[in-house]
Order: sequence, then C-alpha cells, then structure tokens
Amino acid sequence: MGYLVFVTSILAFCASTVLSSSCTKPEVSAISYTTQDATVLTKIAFVAEFSLKCENKAKNIPLYAEVNGKTLPAVQKFSGPTVDNEYQVSWVEEVKKSRSGDYKVNLYDEEGYGLLRKAIRNGEDISTVKPLVTIILSHPGAYQGPWVNSEFMALVLSILVWYLAFTAKSKVLS
Amino acid sequence: MTGKKSTFTKEEELLLQDFSRNVSTKSNALFYGNALIVSAIPIWLFWKIHMIDLYSSLISFVVVTLASTYFVALAYKNTKFVLKHKVAVKREEAITREVTRKLAEDKKMSKKEKDERILWKKNEVADYEATTFAIFYNNALFFALVIFSSFYILKGFTPAANYIMSVGASGGLIALLSTGGK
Repeated sequence: MGYLVFVTSILAFCASTVLSSSCTKPEVSAISYTTQDATVLTKIAFVAEFSLKCENKAKNIPLYAEVNGKTLPAVQKFSGPTVDNEYQVSWVEEVKKSRSGDYKVNLYDEEGYGLLRKAIRNGEDISTVKPLVTIILSHPGAYQGPWVNSEFMALVLSILVWYLAFTAKSKVLS
Repeated sequence: MTGKKSTFTKEEELLLQDFSRNVSTKSNALFYGNALIVSAIPIWLFWKIHMIDLYSSLISFVVVTLASTYFVALAYKNTKFVLKHKVAVKREEAITREVTRKLAEDKKMSKKEKDERILWKKNEVADYEATTFAIFYNNALFFALVIFSSFYILKGFTPAANYIMSVGASGGLIALLSTGGK
C-alpha cells in the first residue's frame, strides 16, 4: 500500500512538473517599486511584482529573471492558499551606477533559463534567447539632494549683494 | 565757497568739524548699535546651522561680538569719511539748484546766508547718504565674509573655533579694507 502511494505521488509530481513547466501565451500584469529618495542611501532597490496568466492554466512554474545581463530568480509569493502565479523580482543597485528610465526584466521558464545560461556560458548574445515574457520596470530616478546646497546659495546671494554695494560705492568714489 | 584765510571763522570751524573723521554722538550711537546687531547675528548662524554649544561658548560669544562690534563700527566710520566728501561733490549741483529755487522768493535773504543754507543742506545730505551707505556696504561685506569663511575656509574646524575665527577675522578684515581703500 505504501509503495503504491509512493509511486502515485511520484507520478503525480512528474505529471504536475510536465504540465506546469511550460506556459503558453503568457500574460503578465505587474506593479513595481523603485527607491525615489536616495539622499541618505547608497543603494537603490528595484522591486517588480507580477502575476502570470497562462492559457494552459499552468500554475506556479519556476521563473527566472534577467536584467542587464544579470540573472536572478523570481520569487513566488505565497501569501495565501488561493494565490497562484504571483511572483516578485527584486535587486539593488549602487546609487551612482543606477540610471533612470525603463529597465527591461526578461522572464524565463526553466527551459529558457537553461538556454540563457548556456548562451552566457558560451559568450553568445543573450538577446537570441527568447524570453517567456518581458516586463518593463520604469525608474524615474532617485532624488539625491538639491543641485546647489543652501550654504552655496547663501554665499552666492551675499556676494551678489556685496557686489551691488561695491559697484555703487565705486560709482560714488569715481 | 568762502575764500581761504589763515584763521578760521566760526562757520569754517563748523564746516571742518562736519567733514572730519570724528562723528557726532548720534551718528556714533547709530554706528555702534548697528555694528552690535550685525556682530551678534552670526551667533544665530552658528547656533542653528553649525550646531555650536550655546552655553559653553557664552564667553566667546560676548568677547567676539564686542571685538567685532568695535571693528565693524570702525569700518563704518572710515567708509563714511571716505564717502562723505565724494557724495558732497556729487550732490552739490542738485542741492544748490534745489535750495536756490526754494529760497528764490525770499528777497530779504543775503547771498551769504543762502550759501550757508546750501552748505548746510549739502552737509546734511552727504552725511545721511554716507552714513547709510557705509552701514549697508560694510554689512554686506561682513556677512559675505562670515558665510564664506565659516562654510568653506574653516569648514573642518569645530564650531567654537570656527565662530571665533570667522567672525573675528571678518570683522578685522572689513576694518582693514575700510582703511586701505583710498
């Protein structure tokens, strides 16, 4: 009996893996967060949360993300028993190295990820590996403090006032 | 102008006094009062911005403010002295015209009295203009120097040392510049 249960569970596992390992006609809806205020920070956080919808009802397949040539796993969110296909991708970047604008997050399933790894290993162009789906994360840029600090502003203004006084004085003395 | 004589008349002595380096008590009070306010203002800057410890720096506040008051007042006086002559020369024509027009109807007034009126008015205008301008000019220079030295030159020092040096040096410098400039 125990043996049977074991075999059945193995079969069920294999079936579920085979069923869920591919996702046809994927659709994603994503929300994102990026750090906006970097006045006291050294790194900027990028977080993208998305839900995946497959035509073939594939559920909770493992996904991997690729951003600017770096790969990272997409973490599945299990905030409740009914939540399926919810993922999160996050990473940090140095404030100075991060640029503002759109970040392309390419998502791969296991098969695609294998191809991607192979392409990276062989030094091939990774854009040849077609991602399952791509989400765009837009980073408007982080505030890193004012362009001119207040003491510089104060200095400029005080010198301006003095300059006006000086020209007026020169006019009187000429 | 009246002709030169070996001995001065009373009016001429009065005139000399008006154009001398000595200033009247009223003017002195104005200068020292202003200088005191201007010298005390940097305390606020150091207290709120440079985060100086108020209680432990009380003595240096008093000493530096007094020294700076003296220097700033000295600068006011020197600047005023230099400016007053020039202002008087610049405004002479306009004042003469104005006073003459005002006194034109008064036929009884002698030419000498009219000249005196003009001279008196000219002195008053020049004194007022030179005084206010000297205060304005030196304040502007003093604050520019304090801001520059405290935020840039003496940035690395402790607030207490920064205060003593920046305010003291700025006061001394404007006093020096007021004597040097012509």
